Amino acid sequence: MTAYAELMIGGLMSGLVVGLAALAITLVFGIARFANAATGDTMTAGAYVALSVSGATGSVIVGGLVGALAGAAIGVVVYFLIFRKLAGRSSVANLLASIGVAFIIRAIVGVIFEHQQQVFQLPLVRPWRILDIRVQPSDLNLAIVAVLTLATVFLILYATPVGRRMRAVADDPGLARISGISPTRVMIALWALAGSVSAVAGVMYGIKTVVTPEMGWDMLLPAFAAAILGGIGHPVGAICAGILLGTIQEMATPFVGFTYKLAISFVVLLIVLLVRPSGLFGRNEGAR
Amino acid sequence: MTILSIEGLKGGYSEVDILNGIDLVLREGQILTVAGTNGAGKSTLAKAVVGLLPRVSGSVRLAGKDITSLAPEKRAQNGIGYVPQVANVFPSLTIAENLEVVEGVQDRKARISEMFRLFPALAERKRARAGRLSGGERQQLAYARALMTRPRVVVLDEPTAALSPALVADSFARIASLASDGTSILLIEQRARQALAISNQGAIMDGGRVAMEGPAAELLNNEKAADLYLGHYST
Repeated sequence: MTAYAELMIGGLMSGLVVGLAALAITLVFGIARFANAATGDTMTAGAYVALSVSGATGSVIVGGLVGALAGAAIGVVVYFLIFRKLAGRSSVANLLASIGVAFIIRAIVGVIFEHQQQVFQLPLVRPWRILDIRVQPSDLNLAIVAVLTLATVFLILYATPVGRRMRAVADDPGLARISGISPTRVMIALWALAGSVSAVAGVMYGIKTVVTPEMGWDMLLPAFAAAILGGIGHPVGAICAGILLGTIQEMATPFVGFTYKLAISFVVLLIVLLVRPSGLFGRNEGAR
Repeated sequence: MTILSIEGLKGGYSEVDILNGIDLVLREGQILTVAGTNGAGKSTLAKAVVGLLPRVSGSVRLAGKDITSLAPEKRAQNGIGYVPQVANVFPSLTIAENLEVVEGVQDRKARISEMFRLFPALAERKRARAGRLSGGERQQLAYARALMTRPRVVVLDEPTAALSPALVADSFARIASLASDGTSILLIEQRARQALAISNQGAIMDGGRVAMEGPAAELLNNEKAADLYLGHYST
């Protein structure tokens, strides 16, 4: 029983990482209307920047903040260089371009930070024992970071003028334009937000495991699965689905082994989509 | 004074022209009704005026200023309001948010309060999501959204199309009231006789061209217009 509780905690943590990556995907899908395959490599870049800055400053918090800013900067630069020029093109064209962007980001990361595994230098801390269940203090810290990140994103979306405009563009881009809303300003805010959320997910993943140039790309499939399961374009759905998939994966490990735990989450995805084709929170029109 | 002039307007969504050379003039504070059969190009004309038609040639002038090359958001900020036939509110935003998101509004809070005074039914439900409103409430919200910027010209695309028959007369009364307050209105409408009855000028489109135009009262009494386009009985 204790072992399952510990697996559940581990699942929640990986679910939060997947959920944040899925949130970044669903934000871009809801507003820019395509699946951004560069999300994973933006995670990687954010993790590497955070790793370098935390190594230089000795502070993981400072490193994480700079990593998030780097993610935002990557998002905005990629928008101006690539996706702004592809505005109005099909979602497939944008998806293919984002795969190209992913390769470019990974190549740049590889050149700058090299290819060997790296780890965040964190002090060794004895785990807490709560009802005989081991809880890593770093897990609690990461959960707080995830909650703060989510709170910030939802605050921006629901309590700021730019957030309301982002939701308006997600609803109806044409109506938004004839309401005087500049698509460029909304897109800058979107790409900065999605980039920073991706980077935070990357930093969390890097702290939990190791930092490699492929780490983000490897996370892309579960993140896409969570975005679809949650109802593509639905931010709350992405987070809930990420947590659900992460938890199911970890809880299934004793039964199916480490190799097949990812497959289990896709079985869950297929079952849910058979019952609710638009996902857990999605509506029939797709993007929200 | 001419507030909106359309000269030699051609264009469409792809290679094929749907508008084949439109010339129209809307005077300040007046209502110009554009009627015509389905497929005549009326809604395409509305989109061309507000900047949503991908390909246009000719010119659209607002108070003498050529706005043909301006993006839709710039046209909105320059004083063109638009109420599309469908999808005219942001369904996942609340009523208040639908008004708050409009850009180019001076003294936003005061303007939103004005809109709530003008449309009291909206004020009562300002925290309700627009997607949950009835057809009549949605249209009121669409009008309020379009009026937020104090536009000089409002383009209404078939405002009565999605309304129950009981609400049609109210809708025309509201349009007449807007014009009496000084707003110039380009009214695209299938219910041509009722629309012309509240209009100063009228035009009938056919095949992407203006087939007939003139003072609304004259068009209403024109036998040829009645035979070919308007019918002989009010709808």
